[in-house]
Amino acid sequence: MNNHQHVVSVAAIIAALLGAAATTSAQSVCLPAPRLLTTMPMGGQLGSEVEVTITGQTIEDLEQLLFSHPGITAKPKLGTDGNPEPNKFMVTIASDCPPGIHEARVMSRLGVSSSRVFTVGTLVEVKQDQPATTVATAMPLQVNSICNATLPLRAVNHYSFEAKKSQRIIVDCAAKGIDSKMNPVLIIADAEGRDLVVERRGGALDFTVPDDGTYVIKVHELTFKGGAEYFYRLVVQEVAADAPLSRLPSVRSVSSFSWPPADFSRSASTPETEPNNKHAQAQKISLPCDITGSFFPAADVDTFEFVAKKGDVWWVEVASERLGRPTDASIIVQHVSVEGSDEKLTDVVELSDILSPVKRSSNGYAYDGPPYNAGSADILGKVEIKEDGVHRLQLSDLFGGTRNDPRNEYCLIVRKAAPDFALVAWALHMELRNGDRNALSKPIALRGGSTMAFEVVAVRRDGFDGEIELSMEDLPTGVTAVGLKIPAGQSRGIMLLTAQQDAPRGMHIAKFSGRAMVDGVEVIRPCQMASMAWPVTNAWSEIPAPRLLADIPVSVGGSEFAAISIAATESKVWEATAGATLQVPLKHILREDFSGATMGLKAFGTGFDRTPKFDVSLKADQSEAVFNLGTLKTVPGDYLIAFYGSAVTKYRYNPEAVTAAEFAHKRAQQEAADVAKEAERLAQDATAASGDQKTEAEKAIQAVAEKKKAADAAVAAAAKRLQDAKKLAQPKDIVDIIVSEPIAIRIKPAETK
Amino acid sequence: MTSRDMDRLQRLVPWHLVGFLLAMLTGALSASAGELERTVSFVNDVIPVLTKAGCNAGGCHGKAGGGQNGFQLSLLGFEPQEDYEHLVLEGRGRRLFPADPDRSLMLMKATGQVSHGGGVRLVATSEGYSLLRQWIQQGKHFNSEGEPDLVSIVVDPARGSVKAHGYQQLKSLAHYSDGSVRDITGLALYECNDDAMAEVTDAGLVTASDIPGKVAVMVRYQGKIAVYSASVPLGAPVETLPASRNFVDELVFANLKELGVPPSPVCDDATFLRRVSIDIGGRLPTETEAREFLASADADKRDRAIESLLRSPDYADYFANKWTALLKNRRDDASDITSNFAFHSWIRDSLLANKPYDQLVRELLAATGTVIANPPVAWYKRVKDPKSQIEDVAQLFLGVRMQCAQCHHHPFERWSQDDYYGLAAFFSQVGRKPTDTRGEDLIFHKRGTAGSKNVKTGLTVKPAALGDNVGEIAPDEDPRLRLADWMSGESNPFFAKALVNRYWKHFFKRGLIEPEDDIRDTNPSTNPELLAALEDHFRKSDFNLKDLVRVIASSHAYQLSAMPNEHNLADRQNYSRYYPKRLQAEVLLDAFHQLTGATTSFANLPAGTRAVALPDNSYNKSSPFLRVFGRPESTSVCECERVQSASLAQSLHLINASDIKSKLATSNGRADRLSKEERPDAEKIGELYMVAFSREPRPDELRIALDYLAQERTDAAGKPVDKTKATRENFEDLVWALTNTKEFLFNH
Repeated sequence: MNNHQHVVSVAAIIAALLGAAATTSAQSVCLPAPRLLTTMPMGGQLGSEVEVTITGQTIEDLEQLLFSHPGITAKPKLGTDGNPEPNKFMVTIASDCPPGIHEARVMSRLGVSSSRVFTVGTLVEVKQDQPATTVATAMPLQVNSICNATLPLRAVNHYSFEAKKSQRIIVDCAAKGIDSKMNPVLIIADAEGRDLVVERRGGALDFTVPDDGTYVIKVHELTFKGGAEYFYRLVVQEVAADAPLSRLPSVRSVSSFSWPPADFSRSASTPETEPNNKHAQAQKISLPCDITGSFFPAADVDTFEFVAKKGDVWWVEVASERLGRPTDASIIVQHVSVEGSDEKLTDVVELSDILSPVKRSSNGYAYDGPPYNAGSADILGKVEIKEDGVHRLQLSDLFGGTRNDPRNEYCLIVRKAAPDFALVAWALHMELRNGDRNALSKPIALRGGSTMAFEVVAVRRDGFDGEIELSMEDLPTGVTAVGLKIPAGQSRGIMLLTAQQDAPRGMHIAKFSGRAMVDGVEVIRPCQMASMAWPVTNAWSEIPAPRLLADIPVSVGGSEFAAISIAATESKVWEATAGATLQVPLKHILREDFSGATMGLKAFGTGFDRTPKFDVSLKADQSEAVFNLGTLKTVPGDYLIAFYGSAVTKYRYNPEAVTAAEFAHKRAQQEAADVAKEAERLAQDATAASGDQKTEAEKAIQAVAEKKKAADAAVAAAAKRLQDAKKLAQPKDIVDIIVSEPIAIRIKPAETK
Repeated sequence: MTSRDMDRLQRLVPWHLVGFLLAMLTGALSASAGELERTVSFVNDVIPVLTKAGCNAGGCHGKAGGGQNGFQLSLLGFEPQEDYEHLVLEGRGRRLFPADPDRSLMLMKATGQVSHGGGVRLVATSEGYSLLRQWIQQGKHFNSEGEPDLVSIVVDPARGSVKAHGYQQLKSLAHYSDGSVRDITGLALYECNDDAMAEVTDAGLVTASDIPGKVAVMVRYQGKIAVYSASVPLGAPVETLPASRNFVDELVFANLKELGVPPSPVCDDATFLRRVSIDIGGRLPTETEAREFLASADADKRDRAIESLLRSPDYADYFANKWTALLKNRRDDASDITSNFAFHSWIRDSLLANKPYDQLVRELLAATGTVIANPPVAWYKRVKDPKSQIEDVAQLFLGVRMQCAQCHHHPFERWSQDDYYGLAAFFSQVGRKPTDTRGEDLIFHKRGTAGSKNVKTGLTVKPAALGDNVGEIAPDEDPRLRLADWMSGESNPFFAKALVNRYWKHFFKRGLIEPEDDIRDTNPSTNPELLAALEDHFRKSDFNLKDLVRVIASSHAYQLSAMPNEHNLADRQNYSRYYPKRLQAEVLLDAFHQLTGATTSFANLPAGTRAVALPDNSYNKSSPFLRVFGRPESTSVCECERVQSASLAQSLHLINASDIKSKLATSNGRADRLSKEERPDAEKIGELYMVAFSREPRPDELRIALDYLAQERTDAAGKPVDKTKATRENFEDLVWALTNTKEFLFNH
């Protein structure tokens, strides 16, 4: 390369990089989806009616506020003019609704929104309307009440309560557990605001009142963040001196989907018996067993002794992190032999962590896996006994060296193999552009003609390694679900939900399950759905908060269509012979323009997922997928596959709103013109009038002038709405995941000659 | 070196043999019969000469990574075998020339006969030169059969009293394994722990200055150390002493009596309240507090003021500020904010709850989990390397500096590399897993046998706590817990001592041992009995930090006036008066706010947050005030990172900086408010003095202030300034003048 060429190529690279950066910065990630972001209050008392104000993202044309339990119902709040007040609902909580965590969501133009926790409690509830940022303005609270509040930015909320000496008062705050972004700090201070006790780790304050008097509660965020997304439910409650400390209810972590095992009952559980920290103090047990214990006090080690025979295989499962405790259980099993007067311990197995069955995304620059963790710090493993005799199992908490919390409980099960599985699913994420680390909450709000993919992950119990078929039922009209099974010995499958182009607007709670043959018996297990609590656009700047959902609402918005639909040209089973080449012609239904001429597609589905990425045109209405079955080494059988990739759509947000706004604008203009005409007429009349008539005419002129002013303001407002609608409807580059409809393939055995 | 090694050497350089024979011959001709009887030992004779001459000092040939000009010696001769090889094998054999020892490069360089970057280190007529020469002549033996090992050294006298400007000659003796004793006075190295108090010559002659107190001279020889401790009495009559309120007083006053240093009287109430509020709460007393305190006739009002301060969150904020800087709570990345806030708050809340100190340290050392669930984990985010971990832990919690021992035997201490790696082994089972936060790991105990590899020997060293055996640690046990057990154990000689010394320094400006985190046999306390009593008290109180503060602050020793009497001006270490301290950056800024009524808005914190409550160093960037007054950047476990010295920049800042001006003129600030209030100026001046100094103005001060306030002001053109504006500016000037007084800037 000569110098000139070198300069040119460097310039080209720089230009390409700049171009790429420009393109990247101009792109948004993922098409708009309806998201319910806040409700105020975040819950209510059993048997009450509560006025709830909501905020959300792209949730226009609201129809309903819906709840995951039929005991909670809502209707729009009507204003004094009889019209619904925007974003306000009257929510009725039936007296037989179970207390605890429920979920709220709205049905909007684009479909059903992501959900927000709505808690039902038994105590009196109040709502804080104004921040109270000083001791002097502290909001008085009754003991045994719950306050729904939002944190002001860079400030502390103050509350006061009266208490008597020796009363045991619990001050607790639900925040992360009800989807808030807040890391709560709770402080009880004296009447002058001098701090007495503080809790910053998400725990509750257990306060024995030292003297009769007024006390101040301070609440703030660990780093003094604030705003509508930093909401909380603060409880001040008196409890008996000897009552166990119970916390406000909380959502379940994703990891907890694998707990408990099916048909699990704690009725046969036995408690651990302290002291059992040392080998000499080992608690004798017989297998199988189910033990309840706690990692308490600090550096607690629980030692259990049992007799086992060479060749025995036992499965050990511990739940603690999955019970919501911040623990990291670890087990060592050792064989005990005696040499003279000494014991000799031989390690049999060391168990820790249920590893995520699929690689999850690291905290690096770009995605390298899903942003969900199906694993756990708990234990699920196998003990193969190598020698007859006495064995000891020591259970400890790798996080427990210095922590003294008796609530760090665990459940230890040792059992003979009971092969089984547990399933969890989440909407597919993938890297959509350089460095993309979005972790958006993705409600199932389908556009006509779109296919949405879900990753399904199995935690397999006790050696079960068979294939798992996936299915989804109770779907809204026009929506079909096809599961790409989890193959034998593997952990990941795909569920595809497709809305027909003409699928009507609708929503239904779906049933999602997996089916497998275990020891010759068909076993069906539910698949739980996980989602992000917030639409996190960059997981570097905001740590995502995934959780399990209460149920699986599936909806079609009915107002928008997929930018492109890709499907096989015929809805049939495509047949080919093992080792041969299979060609599947694809049809494209293009509904929007794209940035770029082609899109790279990869394949989902066992037997085909190693298909090399291939390009299809984003301009043409057809393409072809070619599979070299010899290279893929796909064995004869029936397969379901789909293609996926990403493309940058020229997306226009709610163009219908422009038409409506234009109409409204024209109408406002017409009304203003009418009023102007009326004013003109009255002015002429007034000129001709005299005496009392003139006075009357002047009054009328004044009245119509007011009307004109209002009409002009209405025109300006309508113009602004039109302008906003037009702006939103301008084509915008948005990159999103494109998934084809599923394709059925049958591979026949090659003929033997 | 074994004889086989020697053979190998001599086969490599056969002419050495010739030289050896020649040397034997010429030596026999020139040396006396007596000299020939003793073979010069490389280890016991040559190395001490090289050390005394400074050849193997860190700045010379002892410098790590090659020494000087291609000639490397081990630091201070701690590795004689390596030194032997460097001298004998390297340099193409030119360094030593047995055939004509005086022409050996080593001697020619050392005497400056050929160019030597280190200058003349030996003169040809010196005893050292003659020893080296003799060693070369005798054949450069590494050692000889039955050569004794050095066992210990002693200095005579070990203790004593030297009058001001008086002398004391020290005699140093080396004791060997065969029972022999050698006078090493001329070969040993001497170093005084306080050069202002005494000087010591190379020959061991100690000269005291006129500063009374305790001084120590460290004597070093071949890795062995001895200490000469001297008291330098003032000898003034000590007729009256304040009443003893507790053991602190008894031991401080006993020392003063012994030295003949009469203490200043106990300070007045105003001084006490201001002093104790700053030292415990990191703030000035409020006007109301000051007036109530001065008006109170309660006999125990000082003790009650201490109790009130200890109960207040101000105490927790102020001491958390101290600890978080030492524990390196640094903001290097915007994403550090959560862990930094959590860590700072953990310390602050622990102090508020008066968590026992041993428990606090235990939770830090053995932290596991995530930062949010267990904030001390954040320390492992800041201090990642096990070596840094033990160095920080040793210096901060034990007052022991281990850094040297990573590569070589500690020159002033007994710590070896095995001690270093034995301590590092406690941290060898710290497991890490990445979290969703960039750069932040969760910490867990990784099962396994703890051990750390000594990089020098290549051997794995088991956990050992500075020479103490902590027993076998099972693979399941977190060794850090065992370290924490050892630290708070009854026989631990460092842990409690380091803390009480650190806190003593906080209140008295000077530690009983200085620097406060360099506790070693060779750096003794200025009042060992007091240090021992404080240590004992702290341990018996179950490491109760508030109680320690209470004991110190309630003593009359702490409450002495800062004004010297005719005798104790020179006293700098016996606490015969209170040594004034410049307010530290954060306290000064808060005091400035308190007086002016202004505030500083700190990012991510509520309005009105005090500077002493700032969680990390990131606020230094936006506050020129904090920077110029030396707020630390949390990069070091040493309190010395906080700059407490005065500088021109500080003076200029207070006099003329724009942020100071704007604070003085802040709307609704104190000057603004006072200028608008309808009450006598004398009352307003009283308010200012009460806030700034916790006292009423003296008559002369009041007169000056009243005269100033009554002055009319003119603008640049000489025209009278509007009266309202003039009054406000006069008050601003008055506040400005008060903030620039030493009485305001210092705790006294």
